[in-house]
Amino acid sequence: MTTQRLGRLEIEVTPGRLTLTGRIDDSSPLGELAPQIPAGDITIDTDGVTFVNSIGMREWMRLVRALRERGTVTFERVADVLITQMNLRPEFSGSQVTSFHAQYVCPSCGAEQAPLVDAVANAQALRQMQAPKLPCSECGTAMDLADFPERYLSLFRS
Amino acid sequence: MQPSSVPRGKLIVAHPDRKAQRALQRIVGATQCPIEVVDNLNALVKLADEQTIAVVDASLAQAHPALCKTPARAWIAVPGEGIGPAEGPVVDALLAAGWNHVISHPMPILAEELLSTVQKLLRKDPYGLEKYMTWGAEVRCYTLEDARDRDDAVSSLARDVISVGLPDRVGSLVSVIADELLANALYIAPVDPAGARIRSAEPRDRSRSLSGRDVVTVRWATDARYLAIEVRDRWGSIDLPSIAPRLAAGGKQATASEGGMGMPLAYACCNQFVVGCAPGDLTEVIALLDVRYKPTELGRSASFHTFSGSFDAGGESS
Repeated sequence: MTTQRLGRLEIEVTPGRLTLTGRIDDSSPLGELAPQIPAGDITIDTDGVTFVNSIGMREWMRLVRALRERGTVTFERVADVLITQMNLRPEFSGSQVTSFHAQYVCPSCGAEQAPLVDAVANAQALRQMQAPKLPCSECGTAMDLADFPERYLSLFRS
Repeated sequence: MQPSSVPRGKLIVAHPDRKAQRALQRIVGATQCPIEVVDNLNALVKLADEQTIAVVDASLAQAHPALCKTPARAWIAVPGEGIGPAEGPVVDALLAAGWNHVISHPMPILAEELLSTVQKLLRKDPYGLEKYMTWGAEVRCYTLEDARDRDDAVSSLARDVISVGLPDRVGSLVSVIADELLANALYIAPVDPAGARIRSAEPRDRSRSLSGRDVVTVRWATDARYLAIEVRDRWGSIDLPSIAPRLAAGGKQATASEGGMGMPLAYACCNQFVVGCAPGDLTEVIALLDVRYKPTELGRSASFHTFSGSFDAGGESS
């Protein structure tokens, strides 16, 4: 395993896996990272990403494009701040996403949370732009997606 | 008995639905300006002149997108059927056609937004986030002293927003909006006398003291209806007519020198996006987030407004 830092982003590389933690912004030239990653299929875990700005998004797209030329890219535990921006970009349509965070709201207690949505178990519903209901961690009531489905689910649309 | 002075201006409401006409008439009636109400395009065009502020059903506007090029003080598109939210494609089409005022949201936001917009136009007083806040909301201001203060300003803003009880979701959106607007103010706004954007290629981690025209401020306030973020630079170099089409295109046609994808991203993160420019003096961008309603109860696309007018730092605007 190797760990490196690009600006305020920590990057952990293990065979077939990339884990990003921190901010993807002007200080993280992700496009330059691709040559350092072994060729082949790869899973990218962005659970720890807390911020993405427009320059960061451009760098993210450069990284993903480069990795896609060398194998299949699977996105795992995609951060809420990233999945919404990926849904704005047509090139991510049909991406292989196994799980992602999304904003939910509890109709009973009003709690707002960003739980992890299992995109494999819920694949059929997601293709139809339907978000699964998930239990509120405070009161247990089934929570609803707190936003328009297309903001989170466009890239799953069949 | 002497009444107070009569407000000057000419308002026309154009909407095919009688119930919607009544609602819109009541909203803009709060300005106490005379109002004409019509239900079709021909009547609207016949009545409109260069002093007119026309409030037009979005469906009517979409069917005649070039309407906004007809001489008038302002053309304001408002939600169509039953005054529900305007559909995203309708808003995009109007932005692409160059409409300067497109309101997306249903009542009661429509009323608040439309009245503020019309009064800003009538009073020729387009600047300041206070116009969107309930009296009593405290406004906090950060003035950047160095270009590298951007990160601190964004972090402080997000922290402050969450500390007043707003959810993390809002804090995340605020971070992105403030970061993009500050980046534009710091690196895209500065121009040389020929209009060339002299800071657009500057490394974002370079220290640069900000004084004189380089001063950048960010202000924010919330009144539990909206959270407003306002970013100002003293260059007044933004190209107002180009903004709406760029937002409609989602930044796909933008170039780095124009601010790239930043402004479309900030627009995508908020519910109302308001850009004001006093050429050579001030650019002000206000992003409003509605914190009352679930996003699904609002319009899919944010409302959009541009204003131009002189700016007097002492008296704000004129």
